[in-house]
Amino acid sequence: MISKELAKWLQTIKIGWSNQLAYKLNFVLLVIGPTLVFFFIKYNLWTAIYQLQDVDTIQGYNLSQMLSYQVWVMIVGFLAQSYNSMNLAEDIRLGRISSYLIYPFGFWSFHTANFFATQLIQFIVAAITLAFSAVFFDFVSLPTLTSLLSGLLIALLVGLLWFQISFIIGLVAFWLEETWVLRVIFTTITQFFSGAIIPLELYPDWLRDWLFYSPFPYLTFVPVRFFLGDQSFGLAPTIAIIGFWIAVTLALGRFIWSRGLKLYTAAGM
Amino acid sequence: MSLAIECQKLGKRFHQYQKAAGVWGSIQSFWKRQIIAKDAVATFDLEVKRGEIIGLLGPNGAGKTTLMKMFTGIIVPSSGVLHVLGYKPHLRQVAFRRKIALVMGQKSQLWWDIPAMDSFLLLQKYYEIDEPQFKARLSRLTDLLNVGPLLEVHVRKLSLGERMKMELIASLLHQPEIIFLDEPTIGLDLVAQQKIRDFIREYQRETKTTVILTSHYMADVAALCSRIVLILGGEKRFDGSIDTFESILGREKFVSLSFLEPVNPKHPSWQGLDCQWSKDYCKVDLRIAESELRERTIAILQNFPVIDFTTEKLPIERVMNTLLQNPELLSKEATTA
Repeated sequence: MISKELAKWLQTIKIGWSNQLAYKLNFVLLVIGPTLVFFFIKYNLWTAIYQLQDVDTIQGYNLSQMLSYQVWVMIVGFLAQSYNSMNLAEDIRLGRISSYLIYPFGFWSFHTANFFATQLIQFIVAAITLAFSAVFFDFVSLPTLTSLLSGLLIALLVGLLWFQISFIIGLVAFWLEETWVLRVIFTTITQFFSGAIIPLELYPDWLRDWLFYSPFPYLTFVPVRFFLGDQSFGLAPTIAIIGFWIAVTLALGRFIWSRGLKLYTAAGM
Repeated sequence: MSLAIECQKLGKRFHQYQKAAGVWGSIQSFWKRQIIAKDAVATFDLEVKRGEIIGLLGPNGAGKTTLMKMFTGIIVPSSGVLHVLGYKPHLRQVAFRRKIALVMGQKSQLWWDIPAMDSFLLLQKYYEIDEPQFKARLSRLTDLLNVGPLLEVHVRKLSLGERMKMELIASLLHQPEIIFLDEPTIGLDLVAQQKIRDFIREYQRETKTTVILTSHYMADVAALCSRIVLILGGEKRFDGSIDTFESILGREKFVSLSFLEPVNPKHPSWQGLDCQWSKDYCKVDLRIAESELRERTIAILQNFPVIDFTTEKLPIERVMNTLLQNPELLSKEATTA
C-alpha cells in the first residue's frame, strides 16, 4: 500500500524532471543566469558602494563579507526559492484541474511531487554554483561541515515553506484570472524583507525586530547566516519556527483549496 | 444487473455575474454586480444500463458538458439524485475514480513536453496497474490504433488525430467500467474521425464498457450509439433509439431523378412532393412519404423519361437541424420513447 503510494510520487517526480529538462537551453540559462547577474550587477554594485563611501565596513560587513553574503543569498535562492507556481495557476485557469479531480492522485500531491523534482535539480545547480564561486571568487570560503549541514537542513525546510506560499498564491487563480502580478509583488516584498538585497543588520532595529515575527527573515537571511557559520539563532528554535510557518501555510492552503474548488466546481470552468 | 448511471430530477444551477462591456463596465462591476441564476440542467432523469453506448446530443450550451461533469464528479449537482456505478460522483472516492475515465476532445490530459509513453507510465502508477497487465493493454490499444511508433514522440509534435488516439489510450489503460467521451472527434479530418469511431466501436464490443458520448458530428452518433438522448435548454427532450429519432419528422425518403429531356413541372404527379428543380428541368430532388413511395415512383417512371434514380432516407443530420430550429416538433414526442 505504502510502496504503491510511493511509486506514484516517484513517477510524478520523474515526469517533473522530464518536463523541466524538456527545454535544454532554458535549463542552461537557469543554471548560469543568476551567476552572471551576480557577477555583473551585485559584484560591481557593492564594490562601487564601498569605494564611493570610502568605508571598510557597513554594519559589521566588510566588502568581502558582503560579497560572500550575496553569494550565499544566491545559493539559498537556488535551494529554497526555486518553486514557481506558474504551472499551478495555469492548470487552474485553463481548467486542467478537471483531470486531477478524476485521477486517483490529487492536485496537491501532484504539485508537491513536482516541487521535489524541482528541488533536486536546484540542489545540483546550487552545488555547481557553489563550487564555481569557491574556485573563482576568493571572498567565498567553503563553510564548515556543521554550518553546511545545518544550513542545508534549514534551506530545505524553507524550500517547503516557499513552496506552500507559492501554492497559495497559485490558488488565487481560482479568483483572479492572472496571478503573476501577485507573484511579482510577493517576490519584490520578499526580496526586501528577507534580506535578499541587503543584510537585515542594515535595517533599523525596530523594523528588524518586527520582521522576526513574520516568516520573511527565514526565507533568506536566517539560512544565509547559518551557511556563514553564524549559529546564534540556534538550530532547534529555527526549525521549530519554520515548522510553525509551514504548518500555518499548509492549513491555509487546505482551506483556500477547498474554497476555491467549491467555486471551480460551482462555476464549472 | 445494476445500472451504470441512474439519476432522478438532476439539476445544476449556475450563478453568473453579469458585467457590462468595456472598461466602465469592469469598474462598475467592482461594487455592483448583477447575479443571474441559470439552470444549466433541470429535472433530468436518466437510466443507463451497463454496457450501453448512449449519445448525448444537443447544441452548444444545452447542458451536455455540465451533465458530463456531474457524472464524473467534477461538479456538484444542485438538486436531484445521481448515482454512477453505484457511487455518488461528487464525493470523488478513490474507488470511484479508478473505475471511470473522461476524454475531452478540447482539453489534453497528456503532458505536452514529454512523450506519451511517459504519461502512460505515470498513469500506470496512479491506477496501480501491474506490469504484465499494463504491457498487454498498452500493446493491444496501440495495435488497434496503430500508434506504436509514436509512443516515444513528444506529445506537442503529434498531429491532432494522433494526439487524440493517445488521449484514448491514456483513458483506457486502467480499463474503466464507464467512459465519458466529450467530443472525441472534434477538429479531426474525416479519415481520422472514422478511425477513432471504428476504434471505439471495436473496443466497446470487446470489453462491454459503458460509453457516454457527446458529439456534434451526427456520423459519430449514428455509427456508435443505439440510443440517443437529446438535451435542449438543460432538459431532456428525447430518449430512445436512433430509428425512433429519425421518424419524429414522419417517415420520408429523399428521391433524386434525372430525365432525358426537360419535363413539365406543372404535371399533377409532382404535387405535394416539395420539388427542387434544376434550371433546365432535367433534374429534381423531392421528398416522398414512405407509405406512398411505391405508387408515386411508379407513376413518375411511367409518365417521364427517367434516366437516373436514387433514393435515401432522411439523413439524421437533417432531422437534428430541423428539430433544433423547431423544438416544438418534439413536444408531442417529449421524453421517453
